[in-house]
Amino acid sequence: MTEALLPAWSEPFVGERRAGLLRSRPLGELDRATIFEGADGTGVTVAIIDSGVERDHPDVGGCLVRSVVVDLDAEQDEPVVHEDPESLDVVGHGTACAGIIHALAPAAQLISVRVLGPDNRGKGAIFAAGLEWAIGEGATVVNLSLSSRSEAMFPVFHDLADRAYFANCLLVSAANNVQGASYPSLFAAVVSVAAHDVADPWTWFYNPAPPVEFGAYGVDVEVAWKGGGHVVATGNSFAAPHVAGLAALIRGRYPSASPFEVKTILAATANRPG
Amino acid sequence: MSPPRGPADRLDADALDLLRAIARRGVIARRLEEGAERAVLRSIVEATVRLFDAEAASIALYDPALGQLVFEVAAGEQGQGVIGLAIAPDQGIAGYVFTTGQALALSEVESDARFGRGTAEATGYVPRSIVAVPLVDERGTIGILEVLDKRSSVAFSLRDIELAGVFAGQATVAIRASRVERDLASLLRAALTSLAEPADRPTIERIVGLAIADLDGDDEGRLWTIVDRVARLRQADPGELELLAEILEVVARRAEGRAEQRRRSGRARGPR
Repeated sequence: MTEALLPAWSEPFVGERRAGLLRSRPLGELDRATIFEGADGTGVTVAIIDSGVERDHPDVGGCLVRSVVVDLDAEQDEPVVHEDPESLDVVGHGTACAGIIHALAPAAQLISVRVLGPDNRGKGAIFAAGLEWAIGEGATVVNLSLSSRSEAMFPVFHDLADRAYFANCLLVSAANNVQGASYPSLFAAVVSVAAHDVADPWTWFYNPAPPVEFGAYGVDVEVAWKGGGHVVATGNSFAAPHVAGLAALIRGRYPSASPFEVKTILAATANRPG
Repeated sequence: MSPPRGPADRLDADALDLLRAIARRGVIARRLEEGAERAVLRSIVEATVRLFDAEAASIALYDPALGQLVFEVAAGEQGQGVIGLAIAPDQGIAGYVFTTGQALALSEVESDARFGRGTAEATGYVPRSIVAVPLVDERGTIGILEVLDKRSSVAFSLRDIELAGVFAGQATVAIRASRVERDLASLLRAALTSLAEPADRPTIERIVGLAIADLDGDDEGRLWTIVDRVARLRQADPGELELLAEILEVVARRAEGRAEQRRRSGRARGPR
C-alpha cells in the first residue's frame, strides 16, 4: 500500500510514524499519577451524542442518568428534543462509546442524546440541536463520535463549538476517517481525536501538527453493542470516547478546569511518542 | 396533455410544454447514463473485492423517493444476495455510516445474535467482519460502500477504512458525473423556487407535478425501448450513427406530419 492511502488523520499516530510527534514540551511532562490517581469522574456529566445508549447494558454500569432523542416536529421543519424513557440504541454505536467512557471514569454520570431518527432529513440540524441541548443542560464533557460534512452546517457548529468552549463544556470529537473537512471535529475549540493501534486505553498521544491533536486507542477495540452484546470495532469513533473518559477524570479532579486547561493537561500527560 | 386548471396556476400552456420538454430530456439523459453509472459502480466494487480479497463488496445509494438505502451493485462470491435490498437509512451499520458520515470497521459481529442479523440473513450471508464508508458529495452523504470479510484477516484495519474511502471517493465521482439530471423534480423545484415567492410553494409543487407527470407512464413504454436501444449504440461507428440519425429523422418527420393532420381534422387522437 502506498503512503497516500494511509488513514487521513490517524496516520501520525500509527506505527513508526509516531516518532514524528516528538517535541520539546513547553510545560515539561506532568506526572500522570498526580492527575489521575484516585480520579473516577465524580461530579462530571458526560453527554454522548450518538445512536442512543442502552441503559441496562452491563458495560454502562448503571451510570446513564438521562436519555433524550432529537427528531423533527410534526411539520418536519424544526428539531425537537424528547425524553426517551426506553433509552434505545438503534445501532449499538452510542452504547460502545458509553462503555468506553464508563470503563475509564466509572463515577461519571452519562446522558444519551440520540440524534438518529427514523427520518433522515435534516440530520445535520438534528445533530446540531442535540449538541445545543447538551451544552444548555450543563454537560461537562460531550462525546461526539460523529461529524457533519455539510458546508451549510459549518457556521452552526462553529458557533456551538465557541458556545461550549465559553460555557466550560469540553467537546471531544472524532475526526472523520475519510479525508476532507467535517464539523465540528476539526475546529480549534474542540479536542479532536483519531485512532492509534496500541491496544491500551491508557495510551494516548499528542500531535503538535493540527488539526487532529490527539491519538487514542481505536483499532480492534472490544466494545459494547446493541442487545447487551459486544463487537470488535475500529474507527476514530472509538478513539474519541477514550479521550472523553480521560477528560472526565481531569474535570472530576479539577472541577473548574477550562477546556484549554483540560487540553493542556491531556497534552502534558500524553505518552512519549516512538 | 391537459392544460393547467384553477386560479393558482399562473403558468400558461406554452411554458408548461417547455418544462415538460426539459423534463423529458432529463429523463432521457438519465436513461442513457444509468447503465453507464451502474457499470462504473460495478467495476468499483469488483476492484474492491479483489484488492481486499474479500467475500463481498457492495454500494448502497439513498433513494429519496423511497426514503431508503438501496443496494445497487455488489461483487464477490457472497455479494450477490444483497442487490436490490432496501433498508431504512438508520438501520444497522450501513445506516449508521450513512446517517453519521462516519466510517467504521467491525469484527466478530456474529457474537451478537441481534446485530443486524435479519438484514444479513436476507442476503444469504452473515459476515464476521465489515468495513463501511460513506459516499459523500458536496451536498452530503449519498450512500455507502461496504466490504465484508477479508479472507486474509479476521478484522479490518484503519488502513482498510481509508482504502475503502478511496474507492468510495471514486464511486461518488462516477455518480456525480451521471446524476446531474437524475433528480429532475428537485432540479425543477430549485429552479422555480429561485424565481418565486416562498408563499408560492404549493403552486411550485403543482407545476413540478404537471411537468414530470407520466414521464415513466406505460404509454411511453415503446419510446423508452427506443431510448434504451439508442443507449446501446455507444459502440457504433460514425457511419452507423449517421445512418441511424437519418432513419430517425425520416420517422420523426412522418410522425410530426401525421400529428399535424390529426390536429387539423380536430381529432384528439388518431386511430392506431
